[in-house]
Amino acid sequence: MATEFQLMKNPVLPLFTHAWNKDKTQVCVSPGDNKAHIYSFDGKNYKLEHTLEDHTATITGIDWSAESNDIVTCGHDRNAYVYCWKKNDAGVEVWDPKLVILRINRAATCVKWSPNGKKFAVGSGARVISVCYFEEDNDWWVSKHIKRPIRSTILSIDWHPNNYLLAAGSADFKCRIFSAAVKGVDEKNKETEWGARKKFGEVVQEFSTSTAGGWVHAVSFSQDGTKVAFAAHDSCVYVVDATDNLKMHRLPCKALPYRTIEWVSATEFVAAGFDYVPALFSFTGALQYIGELDTRQEKETKSTFRALDKFRNLDSKGTTEGSALKTKVNTTHQNCIADLQIFAGEKGNVAKFTTVGSDGKIVVWDLAAAKRSMPSSAA
Amino acid sequence: MILLEVENRILSEVLSSRASETEEIAPVDMTVADFDGTMYHVSNPEGDATKVLVSISVPFFHQLQQFDVDSFMKGIYGDMVTSPESGYDFSLLVDISKLGANPEVTISNVARLRRNCFAAVFTKFFQMQKDGKMDSIVLNYKEKETMFINAMKDRVTVIFSTLFTDKDDIVIGKVFMKAFQDVRGRNPSAPQVLFGHAKDVPRELEGTSALTGDNVGYVTFVLFPRHISDDKMDHTIDLIHTFRDYLHYHIKCSKAYLHQRMRARTSSLLKVLNRARPDAEKEKKTATGRTFVRK
Amino acid sequence: MSFAPAPKPKPTSTLQPYPDAVRSSLSAAMCLQNFASQVVERHNKPEVEVRGDEELLMNPVVVSRSDKESVLIEGSVNALRVSIQIKQADMIEEILCKKFMGFMMMRAENFVVLRRKPVPGYDVSFLITNFHTEQMYKHKLVDFVIQFMTDIDKEISDMKLTVNARARICAESFLSQF
Repeated sequence: MATEFQLMKNPVLPLFTHAWNKDKTQVCVSPGDNKAHIYSFDGKNYKLEHTLEDHTATITGIDWSAESNDIVTCGHDRNAYVYCWKKNDAGVEVWDPKLVILRINRAATCVKWSPNGKKFAVGSGARVISVCYFEEDNDWWVSKHIKRPIRSTILSIDWHPNNYLLAAGSADFKCRIFSAAVKGVDEKNKETEWGARKKFGEVVQEFSTSTAGGWVHAVSFSQDGTKVAFAAHDSCVYVVDATDNLKMHRLPCKALPYRTIEWVSATEFVAAGFDYVPALFSFTGALQYIGELDTRQEKETKSTFRALDKFRNLDSKGTTEGSALKTKVNTTHQNCIADLQIFAGEKGNVAKFTTVGSDGKIVVWDLAAAKRSMPSSAA
Repeated sequence: MILLEVENRILSEVLSSRASETEEIAPVDMTVADFDGTMYHVSNPEGDATKVLVSISVPFFHQLQQFDVDSFMKGIYGDMVTSPESGYDFSLLVDISKLGANPEVTISNVARLRRNCFAAVFTKFFQMQKDGKMDSIVLNYKEKETMFINAMKDRVTVIFSTLFTDKDDIVIGKVFMKAFQDVRGRNPSAPQVLFGHAKDVPRELEGTSALTGDNVGYVTFVLFPRHISDDKMDHTIDLIHTFRDYLHYHIKCSKAYLHQRMRARTSSLLKVLNRARPDAEKEKKTATGRTFVRK
Repeated sequence: MSFAPAPKPKPTSTLQPYPDAVRSSLSAAMCLQNFASQVVERHNKPEVEVRGDEELLMNPVVVSRSDKESVLIEGSVNALRVSIQIKQADMIEEILCKKFMGFMMMRAENFVVLRRKPVPGYDVSFLITNFHTEQMYKHKLVDFVIQFMTDIDKEISDMKLTVNARARICAESFLSQF
C-alpha cells in the first residue's frame, strides 16, 4: 500500500516540497538547499536527471504545471524561476531558467500554478502574495501584489478551479480567499459561490482558526471549488462549505498538527504532517476523522553481527542494546511529512498520492489499498 | 595516601641516597618547597659534596625566637646546627660521612625540620599546661592564615583559622569540617573537635590577631593531658601540624574527583544525544564493484 | 468519533508523571519548520530567541514537580527552547549543579542543542531548531532531554553522597590516629 524510497541518503537530507510532471514520470524535489533535483521515475527506481542550481538560498516551493510543463521554483533568496524545457543555442534540450522578479523583500515560502498554467502565485514572508503572469510583449513575468489584510508570513496557497480565486493560509492564524483575477489573462470574473465579484487583491472571504490560534499550514480547494479545507497548528482541520452558507466546520485532532492537505474525492481529504502518517477525513455536511492510512508496522532494526558495528555503537552511543539503539518508529515516514502531491488520478478522484518528508523519503501511497487495511474501516 | 607524610620526602631521599653511595658523592644544589610557604635550600658549602647544608625558611620563624628555639633545635640536632644561611631562617650542616650510629634516624630528623619548627611551639605550650601556666599565641604559620594555641588549666586548645579563597571550597570545606566534628564521637581517644564558620568566631579568638572573616573556617582541637603526655606528645604534634594541609588536600581531591565524574557523565549524555542521529547507511559493494542491496 | 493514537513512542516508564508530562509537552512543541525571518531580510534565525513577531511564538509552558524543580518550554515556529530548573536542596547541591552545568555548557558545541547560557531563573537551557529536528530523530531528541533531566538529578545526588562519604572517611582516618 505504501512504497517508500529513500531519495536523500548519505547524508539524509530533508525534503520540503516536490512536484510531479503531468504523466508522473519525473519528479522535482529540493533537499532543503538551493538546488532542485529532477528525478525520473519508472515505477520502481528514481534516477537523477537534472539539477537546477539558479537559486542562491533554500528553495521552499516547487510546482510543475500539467498544462504548460513549466516548472516554477521559489526560495529564501526572494526570487522565483520559471524553467521551460527547450533547445538552447547549441540545439540541446535543457531546462531554461527565467528569473521572475517577485518584488518582495523577504523570503518566498510557497508557489502554485493556476490550474490553467497561465499564472502562478507565490506566498512570502513579506506579508504579500505575488501573482505572476507572462507578458508576451516584454517576454517577461510580471508580478502583482496582494497585500491586504495579510498580517504575517503566507504558509500555503491553493487556486480555485476557476483560476481567479486564490486561498491562502497564513501565520496570522487566518485562511483567506482573495480575488486574483488579472485583466487580460483571465476571463471577466463573475460572482461565485464564495461571494460577490471583487477586484484583484481584494478579500472575498476570511476565516479564523480557533481562539487558541494556529498557523495555517495547508489549504486546499475541493475539485469543484465549493469547499475549502485547511489545517492549522492548533491540531485542527477545518472545512468551509460555500454551498452551505459558508459554514465553517472544525475538528480538533489528537494527532500533532498537519502540514499538508489534499482532497482525494468529492467528500474525502487526506492530511499529513508532524504526525508522520497521512490521515483520512471525510466531509459530507459534517467533518469526520476516518483513520490513519499507515498500518504502522514495527520496523525491524537491521541486526548487525559485525563486531565493528557493535564497538562503533558502544563508542558513539554508549550501548549495543537493541531497545536504546532502535531509532526507528513504526511509521513509514521517519520524520515529519512536509508535502503531499497527487500521483495517480486527479484532484477529487485520487488513486495514489506521494508524500515527502524531513526523513528524505518519497512514499507512494495507494489510497484504495490503504483504506482496506485501515483498522477502523470496519467501524 | 590518606594521611600526609610528616617528613619531607625530597630531603630524606637526597640524604639517604648519598648516605648509601659507595662511590663518589654527587654534588647537590636545590631549592625545595613544602607546605605553607616553607622553603628548603639544599647545597654543598664550599663545593664539598660530602657536606650538605640544609637551610629552611618558615614564615613564622621569627615568632619562635621567644620560645628559645635555638636550644630546642640543639636538643634534637646537636652540633649539626650551624649559623643560618643568608635568606633562610635556620640551617643544618649534615656530614654524610658522619651520620652517627643510626643514620636513618638522623636523616629522618633532618627531614622533619619543618615539623620540628612547629614542635618548638607546641612543646613549649604543652609544657606550660603541665606546669599549670596559662598563655596563648597566634601563630602566623601561613600567609594570612593563623593558628591559635592556648594553654589552659586543664587542656590546650588549638584553633585553626583557615581561609577559603574559592566559593566552592567554602561549601565543600564546610562538609569536611563538619565531618571532623561529627565523626569524633566514634573514637573516644581522639581530641574533641569543634567547627565554626564565618560568623561563629570562637570566643577565644576575640581580641587576638587571629584571622577572622567571611571565608574563614575555624576548627578547634581540644587537647587534654592524655594527648600531650610525654609519650603521646610527639605523635599529637605530627598530626596537629598537618591538619590544615590535610583538610585542603582532601578538598582538592574531592573537586578533582567530581570533575572526573562530570566529564564521564557529560560524555555518556553525549552518547545519548548521538542516538538521535540517523546512521548513514553505507552501500555495500560486491567483489566486482557492483552495489549490493540487502533485501 | 475515533481519534488517531498519539504518535509519540511509548514512555519507557509509565508511572512517572513529571517526565511524562515533559515528554508530551516537548513532543507537541517540537513541531518545527524552516522559517525565514519576516523582520530582517535574508535572515533565518530561531524566532524564540529573536522574538521579532508575537504571532510566531507559542505561549510558554511550565511543567513543575515542585517550586524547586521545573521545566520551561518556549515554542516558536522554527525553534524551541527548553529550560530546566534542577532540584537543589542545599548549598552543596547548588554548587554541584552550577559546576556541572558550567562544565557542560563549555562543551555546548559538542552537544549541538545545548544553549551556551541558561534562560534567567533556570540552570540549563536547550535550543532546538528546525535544522536539528530535520537532521535527527525527533523522538530521540525528546528522549535525550528526558534522560538528561533524570541523569543530572541522579548524578548530583550521587556526587553529594560521595563528597559526604569522603569527608567522613578523611575525618575518621585522621582522628583515629590519636
